[in-house]
Amino acid sequence: MAGKAFLIQFAGSAAFVAVLAAVAALARISKPRSALTQERARALLADEFPGREMEAVWVSDDGCGAVARAGAQALILTEIGDGYVARDIPWDGALAARPNKGIVQFDLADIAAPRARLAFAVWPPGDTH
Amino acid sequence: MLHSSFDPVALAVPFFILTIFLEIVLARIGLIKATYEGRDTVASLAMGLGRGLPGLVLNGAIFAASVWVYQHRVFTVPFAALWGWVVIFFLEDLTYYGFHRFSHERRFWWASHVNHHTSQHYNLSTALRQTWTGGIAGTWLLWLPLTWLGFSPAQVAIQQGISLVYQFWIHTEAIGRMPAWFEAIFNTPSHHRVHHARNPRYLDRNYAGILIIWDKMFGTFQPELDEEAPRYGIVKNLGSFNILRVAFHEWISIGKDLLTARSPRDVAGYLFGPPGWSPDGSRQTSEDLRADWVASQVPATDHKG
Repeated sequence: MAGKAFLIQFAGSAAFVAVLAAVAALARISKPRSALTQERARALLADEFPGREMEAVWVSDDGCGAVARAGAQALILTEIGDGYVARDIPWDGALAARPNKGIVQFDLADIAAPRARLAFAVWPPGDTH
Repeated sequence: MLHSSFDPVALAVPFFILTIFLEIVLARIGLIKATYEGRDTVASLAMGLGRGLPGLVLNGAIFAASVWVYQHRVFTVPFAALWGWVVIFFLEDLTYYGFHRFSHERRFWWASHVNHHTSQHYNLSTALRQTWTGGIAGTWLLWLPLTWLGFSPAQVAIQQGISLVYQFWIHTEAIGRMPAWFEAIFNTPSHHRVHHARNPRYLDRNYAGILIIWDKMFGTFQPELDEEAPRYGIVKNLGSFNILRVAFHEWISIGKDLLTARSPRDVAGYLFGPPGWSPDGSRQTSEDLRADWVASQVPATDHKG
């Protein structure tokens, strides 16, 4: 009896979750988004990695992410929903990635954010030194 | 009274649903400040929905432990006594403060609690992004002393439920500041926005449940500052909305770290050190991040000479 009551309550709650999720999506009240610029990418990366000196920043072709070089590290920024995720990985690892159909997949080696897929028709860029 | 059929959280579910709906609609027509992202909302609500499933397995054992402790209590607090409810209000809220602080400052318990902080949004749906692994993490043990003192398991459970329901409404950007007297005593949307922020200045602050006085007493209070808007989420945000990743990512990270441990000190540090601890100090804890931020605020001239 208790099991049946739980199932009914669970199913009812699941239905409300579906309705609320649909309302949230249809309302279109996510944070305003726009393609990243060099300046904006630098600002976001500076928030994520305070104190790191960025020698160069490359914004992805679609403006949804960026890669910066900070010494021996690559600082990687990628869009998730209407927010961003950032990780640092060894620069050599970032340099070794290659584009496949215009997408470069960077291995972030983190279960919380395993990889970043950024649109770069050409990678690595010519001006990496 | 060992078991109560009065469950404040279950009774509040329709209120939760209605107010989330209202927050979305009022934000849509521009009357209040709130942002929602579809997949983020699904993750938050699904975490809330799934919260009851682990309880099907563990609640019986937790209840049995509570009853056993109650059978060995030192006093008996009458369930119907008003003074008992006043006392448990303060004691439960202090226990919650301790639990919450533990859950942020020690990685084993952070692994259970982190999912509540993984949203980059701060809206009413975020309140429902609850842990699935609290029972396994054993945080319920912290409430057993109340039962040992003489409060019945039912009374403790009801007060816990009241606290959880109170904490729902403070997960919003729609309310700026409450009246000064209220902000001085109670946990509020403003205080809790600080708690959910990942700005170094705001990290690991405002652990309060209902009363903010505990943070003020124990030195963990940080007011929300107009000049520094909170940035929500965790220090290293999730790259996915997958609820299994939300629920278990930190547990898996702990497991991977333990596989690399070379000494008992490493094992203890990975399990019970602060989140961000590493044997060689190559990662950053909240204190490290705060220290870096403080150093970055010192004017360059101060470094001279």
